[in-house]
Amino acid sequence: MPGVSSRLAAYSQVVLFFGAFLLFWEYGVRYFEVKSYILPPISAIAVAVWEARSEIFENSMYTLAEVLIGFGAAVVVGVMLGMVVYVSPFAQRTIYPLVTALQTTPKSALAPLMIVWFGYGFISKVAMAFLFAFFPIVVATLGGFAGTAKNLEEHFRALNAGPWRTFTTLRLPSALPSFIDGCRVAMPLAMIGAIIGELVGSERGLGNLIMLGTASTRTDLVFGCIIVITLISLALYALIEFAAKSVWWRGIQV
Amino acid sequence: MVSTATAEAPQSGKGLSPAAEPAVNHIEAHGLNKTFGSFKALEDIDFAIRNQEFVSVLGPSGCGKSTLLRIVAGLIPYESGSATIKGEMVRAPRPDVGVVFQTNNMLPWLTVRRNVELGARIRNMPADARDAAVDKILDVLSLTKFADAHPHQLSGGMRQRASIGQALVLDPQILLMDEPFGALDALTRDKLNVELLRIWQESRKTVMLITHSIAEAVFLSDRVLVMADRPGKIVEEVTIDLPRPRNAATTRAMPKFGEYVAYLGKVMGVAS
Ligand SMILES: Nc1ncnc2c1ncn2[C@@H]1O[C@H](COP(=O)(O)OP(=O)(O)O)[C@@H](O)[C@H]1O
Ligand SMILES: [Mg+2]
Repeated sequence: MPGVSSRLAAYSQVVLFFGAFLLFWEYGVRYFEVKSYILPPISAIAVAVWEARSEIFENSMYTLAEVLIGFGAAVVVGVMLGMVVYVSPFAQRTIYPLVTALQTTPKSALAPLMIVWFGYGFISKVAMAFLFAFFPIVVATLGGFAGTAKNLEEHFRALNAGPWRTFTTLRLPSALPSFIDGCRVAMPLAMIGAIIGELVGSERGLGNLIMLGTASTRTDLVFGCIIVITLISLALYALIEFAAKSVWWRGIQV
Repeated sequence: MVSTATAEAPQSGKGLSPAAEPAVNHIEAHGLNKTFGSFKALEDIDFAIRNQEFVSVLGPSGCGKSTLLRIVAGLIPYESGSATIKGEMVRAPRPDVGVVFQTNNMLPWLTVRRNVELGARIRNMPADARDAAVDKILDVLSLTKFADAHPHQLSGGMRQRASIGQALVLDPQILLMDEPFGALDALTRDKLNVELLRIWQESRKTVMLITHSIAEAVFLSDRVLVMADRPGKIVEEVTIDLPRPRNAATTRAMPKFGEYVAYLGKVMGVAS
């Protein structure tokens, strides 16, 4: 089997590359005598994360909850709005241009407003995650429905298929690949939204921990939080990729 | 020679099964006109297709063949004139009319079996009847082995056969086909022509087949309508007087077969 050895080679390349990168970091900062509040060695970061593990875990769960709830809300509202805009010419003329215009607003500029509206707690971060994730999902959902093959729509009309049947059997599966693409974009954005919200004003969460770490020049802890955020984002992305596997007909034209 | 079939008014069956077949003509059009904006797609179309008759419509690309089929199928409106199925004005798609479109209509995410039974599901056929019908059609179309494959795993010819299966599953009395083999290579096309002939000879549906292949039209049809473009109209009607049952070897070898092909070629050359 030619696949196994070449895959082994590919994995070992990745491991070697990251190993070399970490070693360079670890010994580079020592060799060049980089101040540890600028860039601590990777081992110091690992120690800091281990020592603060329960704190990091709790705050991670808090941030993860914000991201998931914000993302989930964006999916529900985004898909509903995408559907409404798809079926209603009125919404297409009125709501859709508004959505497109709002999409270009820098969402991070809304963070202070969210805190004024929803307070320092959980809700304002959910709102930020929602705002970041919402637009890609609306656009992708609408694009998915609008991309339903015209010949298949005609085929369904020739069979007198009702609107509900056409929706569930044709439009929904047609829109799924595009929707999943939207989720791919939206998931990391939801994390970015939640973290920005926490940086602007919060009492808990990984963003809050970063602010605390910065205030007490605990750069090792700040780096630890950044790495944990990245790992959570990666895990969430992998989850979407896993879900995307069940929508295998993306790009297949028959 | 410009001739169109003289349309007979629907009349009660004589000689045909009396209860089910009140109209002799299954498909009729009278003075049918269709425009897209200011573009005249069809002008004064007149024709009739009798019960169990196989009629092909030949014409150059863009002359309005698909438009005509869509009107007969009840998929698009028309300006004036009339289109009737079994004597009833066509207003919407009907369950007794099956349509096979130019592009195959497989849903990529469904298996071949699921695709073939789609119409039966949509029209709420009971499950046992549906399963039996699908099994039979997969068998007739030699697709049983591929029942659980997905459309992208099939060859173009198999996909097109499955598309025909999608229409046949409801056992429609009337079958409208829009260049079902247009995208296939000549060899596959010939094979599917033979299969279609066999299916038709067994089930005797009323067929309106749109094609741009003269040989296909002659081989399969009782009658061929020839269209010209700008605006789309019927300019010629040829009755194909070749004996039935036909088959691949003998029918295509008949001198008359060649004569029809040559004649239609000449007409088409003039018409297009
Ligand atoms: N929906 C439409 N809107 C405008 N023009 C159309 C439409 N459908 C078909 N046409 C035009 O009508 C003519 C006939 O089209 P069609 O019936 O598809 O031809 P054919 O099937 O014979 O190739 C073409 O010129 C085509 O561009
Ligand atoms: Mg056409």
